Amino acid sequence: MFRSPLAFGLLVMFAFAARADESAESTLPALDAARFEKLHALLLPQEGEERWRSIPWVTDLWEARKLASEHGKPVFLWEMDGNPLGCT
Amino acid sequence: MAGRVLAFSDSKIIDTLRTRFIPAVGDDWYRRRQNDLVGEFFRSVANQGPRKGEGGSTRQGLYILTSSGKLLAFRNSSDPKSVAALIERGLAEWDALEAEERKAKPFEEKRPDLDERYARTPPEGGLIIEVRARELDLLEDGAFCKAQDRPTRQDLPSIDHLWLTQDEWRSLVPAKLEAGVELPVPEAIARRIARFHLVDNTRGEPNMWTREEIRALDMKLRVGEVSDAKATLVLEGKAHLETRDGARGFEPQLRGTIELDRERNEIRRFDAVAVGLHWGAGTYTGGARPGRTPLGIAFRIAPPDDPATTIPPQAARDIGGYYRP
Repeated sequence: MFRSPLAFGLLVMFAFAARADESAESTLPALDAARFEKLHALLLPQEGEERWRSIPWVTDLWEARKLASEHGKPVFLWEMDGNPLGCT
Repeated sequence: MAGRVLAFSDSKIIDTLRTRFIPAVGDDWYRRRQNDLVGEFFRSVANQGPRKGEGGSTRQGLYILTSSGKLLAFRNSSDPKSVAALIERGLAEWDALEAEERKAKPFEEKRPDLDERYARTPPEGGLIIEVRARELDLLEDGAFCKAQDRPTRQDLPSIDHLWLTQDEWRSLVPAKLEAGVELPVPEAIARRIARFHLVDNTRGEPNMWTREEIRALDMKLRVGEVSDAKATLVLEGKAHLETRDGARGFEPQLRGTIELDRERNEIRRFDAVAVGLHWGAGTYTGGARPGRTPLGIAFRIAPPDDPATTIPPQAARDIGGYYRP
């Protein structure tokens, strides 16, 4: 199958290198207590990331209509397939 | 989602929405189905515009309307300029209305009963956990950072909620509160977390994992420090979630700290993290990074005064399946 020892050697080297790369890709450092605290903080919203949530969104359409009537304002309705405040 | 968030991060748009409108949010999945006065009202507004829900299709978009249900303007866009133009058009239509229609007045309608098939309320005495997911990169020193080189706003965390009933969160606390005692996380809770909350929703509505796609799941709690005032539980675990064809998967490790207030018998801290390599895109969430890349998911008790806390979990559309995963 292999015409020379060199070809076989190269194949083994490539196979070993590919395996080493796969191993590096498939592992992450262990989630110890110190890493956990830092990561938890990183995953939560950072200051200035969620300015859109400073808008006082009303989650109940009936309540929004009531407020609109009582304040003499129109309703601005952000309607998505998945609530913008809670899904995705 | 990320693009639309961009539109609502514009200072002028924020100010205008705060001062000139009653801003509201809704989930069209429920509204286009619910057979009650709220659903009928929304559909009657949407039907005045281009999205009439033919064949049960979505009516999602941005609507400007009066309290009585007159549609003033509609657009489905994530571009800040388009949203600004929509607002301008809506306000012009508002200003052109008869003064009587614009005038502030008491709202006479009584709160309608909701279609129970589509009403979702948080479990009484239960625990609402905020769940945030974010794409990550791994640095050379082994620390994580927010994903780099992503499209605008793609590095933002998603948001969803995990619901635990009162009986469920109480079942997390072992009868014997002694340091070192271990117990497995009850199966229904572990499976709910795995199937519905260890998902990549950073680019929109995710595919939830099916029961068969849970290849491995191990979550346990270990009692840490215990005093008369409080007890700490350490959450540890791992999961392997993967579609049958291997095109999408996630292999996270989990760690968390849960604090029980023993005097008030309530959980006052529920901080947890799942992090692992994720691969593949969902049905509605193209644009995934190639290969296996780090995805992190954080859990914490949802702030009780945040309106978002009332929003049900995405997977609660099938509420029976959510509680019996």
